[in-house]
Amino acid sequence: MEYSNFRLETVRAEFQLEEVDTAGLFADSEPVAPSTHLTTALTRNVPLATAIGTEKAKSEMIVADVLIELREHFEHRISLFSGVDFNVDAEADLTGVCDFIVSLSPIQFGLEAPIIILVEAKNDNLEIGLGQCVAEMIAAQRFNAQKGNTIPCV
Amino acid sequence: MAYSNWTLDTVQEAFDLEAIDTAGLFADSEPVAPSELLTAVLARNIPLALAIGTEKAKSEMIVANVLVELREHFEHRISLFSGIDFNVDAEADLTGVCDFVVSLSPIQFDLEAPIIILVEAKNDNLEIGLGQCVAEMIAAQRFNAEQENAIPCVYGATTSGTDWRFLKLEGKKLHIDMGVYHIVQCDKVLGILASMVKQKA
Repeated sequence: MEYSNFRLETVRAEFQLEEVDTAGLFADSEPVAPSTHLTTALTRNVPLATAIGTEKAKSEMIVADVLIELREHFEHRISLFSGVDFNVDAEADLTGVCDFIVSLSPIQFGLEAPIIILVEAKNDNLEIGLGQCVAEMIAAQRFNAQKGNTIPCV
Repeated sequence: MAYSNWTLDTVQEAFDLEAIDTAGLFADSEPVAPSELLTAVLARNIPLALAIGTEKAKSEMIVANVLVELREHFEHRISLFSGIDFNVDAEADLTGVCDFVVSLSPIQFDLEAPIIILVEAKNDNLEIGLGQCVAEMIAAQRFNAEQENAIPCVYGATTSGTDWRFLKLEGKKLHIDMGVYHIVQCDKVLGILASMVKQKA
């Protein structure tokens, strides 16, 4: 089994997570204005990706651009990974490929701790990706701990 | 069997293709200058995609941007598809998902004939993608014919993002360019793709 096989229920039961649903959890985050490049790219790409309508198109024409901009925003002090194998614990079924990973390490050749954000792209249904994303977040917690670089939240 | 199971040898034999290796097959294509946006995006993305080193990263950070630019260059008179199912003939094993498809139809909400270019992204090895790309080109020939919109040539490319190898299928004649173009010559890569769209390559 790998990340993509986890649903929210199974991952919650398996790792004894306490789920706290909160409205507006990130509502207080300060907005960051997109660069001219990102604005131009999104204006051009969003209608195209939506018309194509595949996860791949949305991932490469929208999500990747947003995450690359995030790395630019932090002037390459963070690292971004796309489509990398992230095999952390085969016995706990924490293996597989992650769509996108952001690490607080600036090292871009090889994934290093601490991993801070996991992004799963889905074609339509965000709920389908929840269990998978949570499983990857748990794997990231363990990965960070194994590397002696634990952070409070993933 | 899907497109990805074909090798250059098996596809040539199964579809009775005559392979013609040519040096400089697309050498005469006029370069097309990349837009300021594409130049800036590639300068930023290429080192990142190479450091990440996955097919997915190279595909989304390099190849997709080049092909979106091609559609812009033709002012949306062509359509671009990414990751779509392209099931043409299950008995002939011409089924599967194509990385990128370019059609001469402006319709973007559905794939319509005539398909002109098939692009397969591979992490490193362009040769691995050749059989797959050729199988997709044959499927495109059949798709165009079924839609009563046959065109003389269907084109292909296998790319690692940085390196691009180009192909041309004319009836049963398969031309493989022996040269490989690097994305540093982005104007040349765009120029070849544009000459394919114009059916002048």
